[in-house]
Amino acid sequence: MSDTDSRKQEETETKLVVEKQDDLPKFEKEQSNKITEKFGSKTEIAFVKPDRVRVNVKKEDILEVASFIRDELHYDHAESVTGIDFPTDKEIEVVYHLGSYTDPKLGRQVLSLATRAPREDVPNPGNDSTRLPSLRDIFYSVEFHERECFEMLGVFFEGHPDNRRLLLPEDWADLPPLRKDFKIKGR
Amino acid sequence: MSVIAPKFKLSYFIKSLTDNIFWIIVLLTLIGIPIIMIVLIFVDLPVHDGELVNPFLAFTMIFHPELAVPFLKSIIYSDFFKIAAFPGFGFAALLAAATIFAERKLLAKMQLRVGPFYCGKFEGILQLMGDGLKLISKEIIIPAKADKPLFWAAPVLFVATAAAFVALIPVAPGWVVADLDLGLIAVFAVIGFFPIITVISSWSANSKYPFIGGIRALHQMVSFEIPLILSLLGVTILTGTLSLSEIVHAQENYWLIVFLPIGAIVFFISMLAELERIPFDLPEAESEIVAGWLTEFSGMMYGLVQLGSYIKLYAFAGLFVVLFLGGWQGPMVVPPFPEEIITEGIQAGPITVQIAGLPIVSQEMLNGTLWFTLKTVAVIFFILIPRGVFPRIRIDMLLSIGWNKLIALAFVNMFIAVGLIYAGILGPGGIW
Amino acid sequence: MTAKLPPGLQLEKEDDKIMTLNVGPQHPGSGHMRLIIKVDGDFIVSCDPDPGYVHRGEEKMAEYRNYITNIPHLERPVIHDSCNILYPYVLGVEELLGLEVPERAKYIRVIAAELNRIVYTLYWLGIYGIFLGHSTMFMWPMGDRELAIDLLEKLTGARVTHSYFVPGGIRNDAPANFEDVCIRQVNYLEKRLRTYGDIFYDNPILIARTENTGILTREDAIRLGTTGTVLRASGVDFDIRTKEPYDVYDELDVHTNVLKNGDSYDRSKTPWLDMLESCNIIRQALEKMPKSGSVRVKLKPNPKGGDDEVYKRVESGRGSLGTYIVSRSKPEPYRLKMSVGSFRNLICLPYLLKGEKLGNMPAVYWSLNYWPVEADR
Repeated sequence: MSDTDSRKQEETETKLVVEKQDDLPKFEKEQSNKITEKFGSKTEIAFVKPDRVRVNVKKEDILEVASFIRDELHYDHAESVTGIDFPTDKEIEVVYHLGSYTDPKLGRQVLSLATRAPREDVPNPGNDSTRLPSLRDIFYSVEFHERECFEMLGVFFEGHPDNRRLLLPEDWADLPPLRKDFKIKGR
Repeated sequence: MSVIAPKFKLSYFIKSLTDNIFWIIVLLTLIGIPIIMIVLIFVDLPVHDGELVNPFLAFTMIFHPELAVPFLKSIIYSDFFKIAAFPGFGFAALLAAATIFAERKLLAKMQLRVGPFYCGKFEGILQLMGDGLKLISKEIIIPAKADKPLFWAAPVLFVATAAAFVALIPVAPGWVVADLDLGLIAVFAVIGFFPIITVISSWSANSKYPFIGGIRALHQMVSFEIPLILSLLGVTILTGTLSLSEIVHAQENYWLIVFLPIGAIVFFISMLAELERIPFDLPEAESEIVAGWLTEFSGMMYGLVQLGSYIKLYAFAGLFVVLFLGGWQGPMVVPPFPEEIITEGIQAGPITVQIAGLPIVSQEMLNGTLWFTLKTVAVIFFILIPRGVFPRIRIDMLLSIGWNKLIALAFVNMFIAVGLIYAGILGPGGIW
Repeated sequence: MTAKLPPGLQLEKEDDKIMTLNVGPQHPGSGHMRLIIKVDGDFIVSCDPDPGYVHRGEEKMAEYRNYITNIPHLERPVIHDSCNILYPYVLGVEELLGLEVPERAKYIRVIAAELNRIVYTLYWLGIYGIFLGHSTMFMWPMGDRELAIDLLEKLTGARVTHSYFVPGGIRNDAPANFEDVCIRQVNYLEKRLRTYGDIFYDNPILIARTENTGILTREDAIRLGTTGTVLRASGVDFDIRTKEPYDVYDELDVHTNVLKNGDSYDRSKTPWLDMLESCNIIRQALEKMPKSGSVRVKLKPNPKGGDDEVYKRVESGRGSLGTYIVSRSKPEPYRLKMSVGSFRNLICLPYLLKGEKLGNMPAVYWSLNYWPVEADR
């Protein structure tokens, strides 16, 4: 147990790692600094690790930040869109992993852009308050990923042209399956 | 305890035997005897020594083999035998079955596998029989909204048309079911039926993929009939006849492929398209339209269409041989019939029989059949080979090949034929 | 609105000329998915891919199992490429748990991953052959695949579902004579692969059929976020093995195959070139591999990750394959997301098939290097 405890301590340290300027990888730090310079307190740099930067934004600002990331930082496509359910926070987090093909310097980099939508205990996908603005107009490649996120977690993407089922059966009437309160039988 | 019949009782077994015998007798008397009567009324039975062959005569043939020879002759030279067995359907079906087996083994060898292997003792030789039995025993499913009479008729019509095509092909001198003066025209008339049957079947199935397949087949067959017909104009110009037998007779010294290689190539490619063989198997392209116009066929209906298409393949190969490769012409390799059998008879143990009327078939006929079969098999081989080498082509490419390139080449071929005659190389005073 | 209807019910006639075809799931040219295609004559008006017929909820299942028991089921989406699909997960767990992998294990991992890429790509190539009606190209790769499968069986003990990579190394060391057998079979395999060029890639009918069909320009390939062979066929030089080398790829000389046109022909040729490159990589790795040594770090039972998240990606047979693991100090991952190449390339399908001929449908569809089971997860 002592090992895990020490690892927990390490984790708490990595949360504070933003303040320790020296150990940080240089290039990634420049990237995150550009974002903080432009948006200030609207964004929160969650961590800066080698090749990986994570930016948390509020859902009102995500379109603005995403446009900035595409136009100024030259990230040009989304690799994946992940929805994560946090029932304790009553929120659903959506993480966009952005990468770049055009800029050779960014070949190693993956920028995570995270935002959160309110979560309702009794979901009614598409008609409740679990809504986020769609990034499809900025990163075209998120189209199918956002469809998957909609059916799996019930996050409705406003401005998405095609919010339909993708993987689940057409007559699926249960909870969105990747929410934590959807339990697998026998587990 | 037997596993096969766990409740075996001798009395039940005897009962089932007597039951079976009862039903056989009943069915024979009720159905068999009327059929025999009908046959006796409508079919000309062979006549022997001025009287009809009766059971007594047939019985005496066992003890007097010389009586059997004229009887056999009268059967073999009858029209019914010609249609059903030798130059007609039976011969074609046999070659078609051999083609299917050869195709599977050949393709397997090309693709580094063994092909049919277990059915039958030797190299899966009975595989086709097994497949046929399976197809016969399968249920025939007809789509609910299909036009049933047309849907039923299509496979039968397909086989019938293929058999009609076979009837026009001369196999040996005098051995042809229908020796027409306008044989070539008759061939085109019969070929013209295939797209109609295809469209009938695809339309009557009332399903989307057969419909697309049928439309594709229609496009393909209609557009390739034109180069097919045009490529044969050269043949008729050089031989001056439309009768297939006379075309073969005209090639006694030189095969026509020597003078008309372009025509032969055009005919061969059009033939592949007419047969829906790879690379022209668009009407059955399984990755695009499931099985094309065959999608809704099941059981023996599918088997009939397959049988028809392989008979058609034989007929086209035979037509190619007749038109370009000299038909039955070839050096005499069959030994002459031994004279002493006719004069002195066969010595078999204590019996010596002198038989009149031998040989049953002539030496020319055997030789012609041999050469025709060899050449046909060679052509079939070349039809099968592309299946292992080429992918399928697209319908627009296919139509552009048919309408632009092949028709132009067919005209070139025609001008070559006319030029050969005007230059005096062929025709009166030429080498031919 | 048609958007409200489930896809299968959009069958009402909008126009008499337009016919709706359900290509799949019971169609020889679809795989485990459905394409709802509307055709006007021979031209495709619209295409709506409908995956999900083999959706198994791998991501949900992963939340119930700990980091070790997740291994066998996470490789199920692509059993032909099971080493590669497990690779990012294993790398991610190693980073979460802070494990250092022995050098020999890293090399054997690379060899296994490249062999698996060959196994997968040969399977893909066989199906591409039969989709174009080239039955020889269906049989040859299926037969030659056995060579690589035999090697993997020798290495891992299983023919397809290897479960070979574990956090901290590999499950077991290579057998004694593995290197000799491997180099012999890989050399022979490369010779066989070169003959495919003669019968398939230089075939005039194939070239006429696939060239200039389904063209994906460089800009569109980037905009649509495609990956792997599709991306490289469109002229983008992007391969995770060279851009973000994992394990020992930075010590090997990996050549990235980039073609320019972005049509079906180039998309089908890139995987073949990749296989030849894989043979090179395997030979290099066999040469540089340490001849002995430990291959696995001892793990504590039921290891726990911290409050961390990790996103790792590798280059699989179908493109970049990312695994995103969110850990919340439990033996099980809190959330596991697989960003798979097939799913990312799926977006091209409606885009490329629009206005294409129906006969080009299989050529374009399978040239996307799409594996329905992986896309569904």
